[in-house]
Amino acid sequence: MTADPTALGVPEDAMRRLAEMRPGQATSLFTSDLSVNEFLLVREAGFRPLGLVLGSSIYHVGFQFGRWNRNQELDTLSQAMYHARELAMTRMEAEADLLGADGIVGVRLEIDFKEFGNDLAEFIAVGTAVVADHATPDGRPWRNNQDKPFTSDLSGQDFWTLVQAGYAPLGMVMGSCVYHIAHQRFWQAIGNVGQNVEIPQFTEALYDARELAMSRMQAEAEHLAAEGIVGVQLLSLAHRWGGHTTEFFAIGTAVRPLRADHIIAKPQLVLPLVDQ
Amino acid sequence: MSEWDGRGLPPVAAARMARFQGSGLRTSLLPVSGAAGVESVGLHPVGEVMGCIVEHIGWTGWGGCGYYGVGGLGGFGGALGGIGGFGGMGGGTVSSGRGGGRVGLVGYRPYVEALYRGYGTAVDRMVTEARAMDADGVVGVAVSVSQLGSGNREFVTLGTAVRADCSARPAEVFTTDLPGQDVAKLLQAGWAPAGIAFGIAVAIRHDDWATVRQASWGAGNTEVSGYTELLTTVRADARHRFREAVAAAGADGAIVSKMGLEVWEIEPGENHRDHVAESTVTGTTLVRFHGGHRSPTRSLTVLPLR
Repeated sequence: MTADPTALGVPEDAMRRLAEMRPGQATSLFTSDLSVNEFLLVREAGFRPLGLVLGSSIYHVGFQFGRWNRNQELDTLSQAMYHARELAMTRMEAEADLLGADGIVGVRLEIDFKEFGNDLAEFIAVGTAVVADHATPDGRPWRNNQDKPFTSDLSGQDFWTLVQAGYAPLGMVMGSCVYHIAHQRFWQAIGNVGQNVEIPQFTEALYDARELAMSRMQAEAEHLAAEGIVGVQLLSLAHRWGGHTTEFFAIGTAVRPLRADHIIAKPQLVLPLVDQ
Repeated sequence: MSEWDGRGLPPVAAARMARFQGSGLRTSLLPVSGAAGVESVGLHPVGEVMGCIVEHIGWTGWGGCGYYGVGGLGGFGGALGGIGGFGGMGGGTVSSGRGGGRVGLVGYRPYVEALYRGYGTAVDRMVTEARAMDADGVVGVAVSVSQLGSGNREFVTLGTAVRADCSARPAEVFTTDLPGQDVAKLLQAGWAPAGIAFGIAVAIRHDDWATVRQASWGAGNTEVSGYTELLTTVRADARHRFREAVAAAGADGAIVSKMGLEVWEIEPGENHRDHVAESTVTGTTLVRFHGGHRSPTRSLTVLPLR
């Protein structure tokens, strides 16, 4: 940020505005879950925050035993993770719809296993609904092809850079796969004692599970007619299912181009004089 | 030590203010970057200020979940509990917020009012100290609540008072839980922090048969609609009250810094389990003072070399 504070009338104008505050006066009020950096950058990217939106679902995650010695997806659990996240996201989008939003930025999608019940988890999606100041350069709406507000889990900084570079977010896309990795058979384990070897079945299981998660994420992006997915995270979440059952979760933001060139101003290099 | 009647500042705090006015020594809780930030927008730290209250919360006003007509067990408010016919499954969520006549006196209303009084008094006492220092605002306020046992809670606010380098004075001392750097960025972009706002709500819901079934071991994949309703209601009420507080202050908007949620189980009678959820939304209200539609600053794209 560069600006001469005194030229802007800081702090004189600020103090005068604070002196003029009238409790109860009608203003176009917004609330936001963004940090100050994000709030200012989202404004600068040409979006106005409308309000904090959230969706939540308390979900009972069913039970499924993996065969002790078999690599397999536990589809009951995969479906639970999908369905519950879907419920939370849909409810958040519905709130944003009510506010007349073009999109939701800074979405956090979290899972919180609750202490008050076995296998109970809260799936919660929180973000800030925003409306664009201007139409897109190509005349298409900011909302995605499902006529839903776009969603993005990018930080305000990343969101600003994305829009500057001529891309529009379409929606958060995700793929989930809960996988049971087989235990080694007794003779197999004995055979490996004292040796440095690859355990092919473990390697294969991890490949398999990640591939399933990523292909599901890609399918969602194709559904939104996206050009690509940015900010992908590929997470292994153990949750509470013990060492051999893991959720592989891929999540990212699907984007489409707003214009043909994607050039942003060359960043200035700075050498920060702080030690962190 | 003299008896203090709870009005104004405790004697030791008042004595500290008198000492401050005598010596003119400046203190600050801000880290270097925070202090440099506020100085850059013409706010000078004058001293650290604190507000504190220890409150005994003995009567939570539990009025029951409205199921089985158990309202009578709850004491005073209980008889007014009524049946919360939410979702047609019996049970239903009774919340402290937005209640009309039906839930006006039940659903932990006195408890929520006590929490509001705790936070509010802590902020007021901090502001009283800031005013005694002739400050215009308090930045980087840390708000904390700790349980002292036996139903006693301590609410503490701790921040750094700043004075503006100009002739205009705000009507009220502004307060914010944002750090000094963020205050500087906001002011440079044409926004001023106005005050700390809270939204608090508590809701209670009976575990009806549908909830028990959905949450049981063999239920398979299913949403537990009762708990979802409880948490959605309590969060919605807390956010609603937060919005009301922002509107009541006459601010243009607010940045939420914390959204807390606690859920616990109570067993008021045999074969009768309820869940209680408490949600607290904390944030800073903002007012806009730049004229145009756009903020006057432009960000520089900078890549730190580290």
